Amino acid sequence: MKGTKFKIDEFESDLIKATGLEITVGRIVEEEWEEILGPTPMPSVTDLRKWDFALLNRYKPMYAPLCDLCCLCTYGKCDLSDGKKGACGIDIGAQQGRIVLLACCIGAAAHGGHARHIVEHLIEEHGDMPIDMGKNVEVEAPLVRLIAGIMPKKLSDLLEPLEYAEGELMHSLSATHTGQEGYFTDFESKALHVSMTDQLLMEIADVAQISALGFPKGDPGAPLVDIGFGSIDTKKPVILCIGHNVVPGAEVINYLRDHDLYDKVEVAGICCTAHDLTRYDKGAKIVGPLSKQLQFVRTGIADVIIVDEQCVRADVLQEARKTGAAVIATNDKICLGLPDRTKDSPKDVIDNLLGGAPGALILDAEKVGEVAVRTAIKLSETRKRRALNVVKEAKKCIQCGLCIRECHNNLDIPRGMEKAAKGDLSLLSEIYELCIGCGRCENVCSKEIPIVSLLGGAAKEITRKERYKVRSGRGPIQDTEIRNVGSPIVLGEIPGVVAFVGCPNYAGSSKEIAEMAEIFLSRRYIVTTSGCAAMDIAMYKDEEGKTLYEKYPGNFDAGCLSNVGSCVSNAHIAGAAIKIASIFAHRNLRGNYEEIADYILNRVGAVGVAWGAMSQKAASIATGFNRLGVPVILGPRGAKYRRTYLGRPDKSEDWMVYNARTGEKVQISPSPEYLLYVAESKEEAIVSIAKNCIRPNDTTKGRQIKLTHYIDLHKRYFGKMPEDIAMYIRTEADIPITLKAEIMKILKAEKWEPRITPDPTLLERLCRKKEVK
Amino acid sequence: MKIPVDVSVVHEGERIRKEDMYVELGGPKVSSKGELVRVRKPGEIRDGNVEVEGPDFDKLKEGGRYPFAIFVEVAGKNVEEDLEAVIERRIHDYCNYVEGFMHLNQRYDIWCRLSKKSYERGFNTLKYLGQALITLFKAELPIIEKIQVTFITDEKKVEAFVNDARKIYEARDARARALSEEEVDTFYGCVLCQSFAPTHFCVITPDRISLCGSINWFDGRAAARVDPKGPNFAIPKGELIDEVNGEYSGVNKVVKERSQGETERFYLHSIFNFPHTSCGCFESIAFYIPEVDGVGVVHRDYIGETVLGVPFSTLATQTGGGKQVEGFLGMAIEYMRSPKFLQADGGWNRMVWLPKSVKERVIDDIPAELRDKIATEEDATDIAALKGFLKERGHPVVERWREVEAVEVPELEVMPVGAPGGIKIILQNAKIHAEKVIIKKIK
Repeated sequence: MKGTKFKIDEFESDLIKATGLEITVGRIVEEEWEEILGPTPMPSVTDLRKWDFALLNRYKPMYAPLCDLCCLCTYGKCDLSDGKKGACGIDIGAQQGRIVLLACCIGAAAHGGHARHIVEHLIEEHGDMPIDMGKNVEVEAPLVRLIAGIMPKKLSDLLEPLEYAEGELMHSLSATHTGQEGYFTDFESKALHVSMTDQLLMEIADVAQISALGFPKGDPGAPLVDIGFGSIDTKKPVILCIGHNVVPGAEVINYLRDHDLYDKVEVAGICCTAHDLTRYDKGAKIVGPLSKQLQFVRTGIADVIIVDEQCVRADVLQEARKTGAAVIATNDKICLGLPDRTKDSPKDVIDNLLGGAPGALILDAEKVGEVAVRTAIKLSETRKRRALNVVKEAKKCIQCGLCIRECHNNLDIPRGMEKAAKGDLSLLSEIYELCIGCGRCENVCSKEIPIVSLLGGAAKEITRKERYKVRSGRGPIQDTEIRNVGSPIVLGEIPGVVAFVGCPNYAGSSKEIAEMAEIFLSRRYIVTTSGCAAMDIAMYKDEEGKTLYEKYPGNFDAGCLSNVGSCVSNAHIAGAAIKIASIFAHRNLRGNYEEIADYILNRVGAVGVAWGAMSQKAASIATGFNRLGVPVILGPRGAKYRRTYLGRPDKSEDWMVYNARTGEKVQISPSPEYLLYVAESKEEAIVSIAKNCIRPNDTTKGRQIKLTHYIDLHKRYFGKMPEDIAMYIRTEADIPITLKAEIMKILKAEKWEPRITPDPTLLERLCRKKEVK
Repeated sequence: MKIPVDVSVVHEGERIRKEDMYVELGGPKVSSKGELVRVRKPGEIRDGNVEVEGPDFDKLKEGGRYPFAIFVEVAGKNVEEDLEAVIERRIHDYCNYVEGFMHLNQRYDIWCRLSKKSYERGFNTLKYLGQALITLFKAELPIIEKIQVTFITDEKKVEAFVNDARKIYEARDARARALSEEEVDTFYGCVLCQSFAPTHFCVITPDRISLCGSINWFDGRAAARVDPKGPNFAIPKGELIDEVNGEYSGVNKVVKERSQGETERFYLHSIFNFPHTSCGCFESIAFYIPEVDGVGVVHRDYIGETVLGVPFSTLATQTGGGKQVEGFLGMAIEYMRSPKFLQADGGWNRMVWLPKSVKERVIDDIPAELRDKIATEEDATDIAALKGFLKERGHPVVERWREVEAVEVPELEVMPVGAPGGIKIILQNAKIHAEKVIIKKIK
């Protein structure tokens, strides 16, 4: 009910007499939710600052500036090196915090813009539909409940938390203005804050599209769908969707269905839009992750390219021109300088595109569907796909070496060219496998060789066979799945939860992420994934020709691989951690962020891995998980985010918690050791993942199995027993039984003393008894 | 004698496919196989000894399937016959820790495989397996002071061994069935789940398995023997306060301590007044259905709606988290086989609805006269249908309806699952503007 105002002219009781009393009420809501409202519904920028400081006190930000100048205002450039301050007074620490905050704001804004668009669009198109996350999902939107303190029932209920997040984003972003915040931990606190709202925004977007578009609803058996260049039928007209917002792509499918064209046109996607297209219709194809964008556009297979939002190459229009494909921009975030044809008749727009216009901006998804399909059908009849003569092009190379110097991954393109010029394409083909598809080599090539196209041309035989299976995004984790794993976790049968997420900016082979996933799957960890990482996990087959999705079931369970979906589906991974607190400990979620984050940090042995994190969204996603108490491990390129959150195991005073049973402060093992950590190699990451699943609440059986894997992996990759093992043994019962003799010897040498296992918390208010002094 | 392969928990999930196996021991294609643990006097055991009766790995033909028995004999001051079954179940775990050795099932049904790879690496005698078992048993269960292991592959000997073992399994089962709360003076507590649910703990008696279904009284006893300060500990049962409800003074004392003061008393066999609390990993929920004054059960794997019109997951939100909620009880399915199953509430006489798959699992434990009177989802999916079904089949709860109609007993206070009655208005951030507030002293 909208606001109301009422007036009491005269009121008199024994205590009070009032005249001309006016009471205004903003909104009247009918409420069926009995849960008590926690201390921080819709927290402001500073409401959770204390929690942030508790985290930052243990996990101190470590900065590795890419640049020690500040160029953000006209005072600058200001040199901030060697303790110098800028003209505004800022020092290098605060400046790094500021840049991190800026990145997180950009990331949250991208999800926020997406969420705003999709919620409004879906309400307009489908009406105010009820929120439905499927059977066995009692807590429909854990983050909305936790952060906003409301229980959404229908799509329009998502507008209030959306508005809240937008407001927080504005406050957070404003703090980066010159002359605002001046201290690094406060910048970090704001980064944590805006990244928390980022999680909220992701959840809002995915909950809305799952409810309204009929995506799988927490279904472990979501269909296996095709992924890879080779899965696309190039004989048909091909429409390629790039980005993250499924709405225009879904309208393409609707148009095909409505006009009996469903089997006649291929609809394929790159990046998260592709995931969501398969969630909408299992017949849609996934080309691959973001790293395949330039490669695939260059193949000329697509007749029409639809771009929506986020992670779309800025030069997509120029690239499409080279192949004769038409580009349709569909979202206010990406207009590409194209004329706005939203109000024009489809026929006019199609004629224009067929007549050679490079593209059109159409901000009406339904119209996009029609224009894309009709244009693609026509264009496919006339457009010729040009074949590239790799050898001839390679012969142009003069071995200047500028390309290898420009390459992120130092790929030896000159030698590849040299061999190719002699007719041997093997090295270029190998380089293709390692290429992240950025195209910077071409910018510097003194002979203007289309290097990326050559790589693709050399690997043509491989790419043609690139056909794999990925499980379509299932959405949320069912409550019953969480219950199922409770007992095996405490009995020491499941060592932890590992989430592989993020972009494909790898320092090595994209196969590494699948290799890592398989190691933890075969060790019966719970493995979950999303986004581009979920795609790269699919692009790897074992000796029997099976992908991991065909080999391991899609449940949230030991030795299972669950793909939650696109970037915005990351919210369900956070949601699963949150639900553990409500399911096992009956902790209230409603507006109760700090207590739940404390619960997760101290009890839920989950680790996020963003092996190829690239974007600002990946920064805010990781930081959002950090505030919730989940450690994140980044791949080598993650160092370029310039900031990590590292614990110091050598400082025992940093590893104290309250024992909620007694109120006493007690020592714990340094776990999780990091909140945000950059691993330099796959091996380092694997060992670190196993180690960071350790939590202070572990039962002795749980600790045994976690240590068994940590030690086994450490021995396997580093050839010896980890040096810090004694720190992780609380009692003899924690020692893996097969290693008892070996470890007892170490404990003796280190004069080890047993410790208790507390009911751990960083929040004094949660203690049952106060400390007796 | 160094074992040529790795021994570690990390090999537990390993499966050895037919193409990769060197030999198979036991399994569905071999009639004689089995394993047994017996407690002996210390003098009867040659500690650390491993014997192989019959051909060893190096004498067995590659790709063949052979009869197989594992016989473990243990002794120790605190090792009693009651713990044999618990110790025996570890054979399965420990065999699987051995790289390239697979062990499935238990008792007279075991199925093992040795991988080609491990054989090639020198795992050519069962003595290695015996050695691994002995080391692991002693490391995890220090109450075992002496241990010897015998493997049998000789067909005749395996046959004879299994025949004897079957008698022991039967005697053991009979003893376990006969054991009741009255017969013992100690129950066991389990606080494993406190790592996630800090105020919940399980009381395990011979008549009541832990609610996750993983730890029975014998398991609790063994674990408490091994590590009395560990997560499984002895509870002296104390005085029997209420026989019907299953209330014991010793239990109540520990409840207060271990629930961090959250809970005061437990009725071990009722869902009313002071039901046992639960964490989140209960296998099933018993729930009160006020409309028929009966009790329903739903388990975690049940997909779809219960007779109340809500699924397991909704009912589960009322249960768990270490909170005592009248009318809801998290429990193991095995508890339904207990002779004391919800005895205070009428036991099976009060049970009106349960999923078909659960009913099939426990059918032998349902009193014969009630078997066709308890509805499943095939008989009733809503209260009206359930009422009709119970009336038609003459379920004992129908008698209670008449009593209620006649006596008009006060309504039971049970948390409703559906819509609550009445409304409450909360003024949040209300801004009341009064231009002038005058406080006057009253004379």
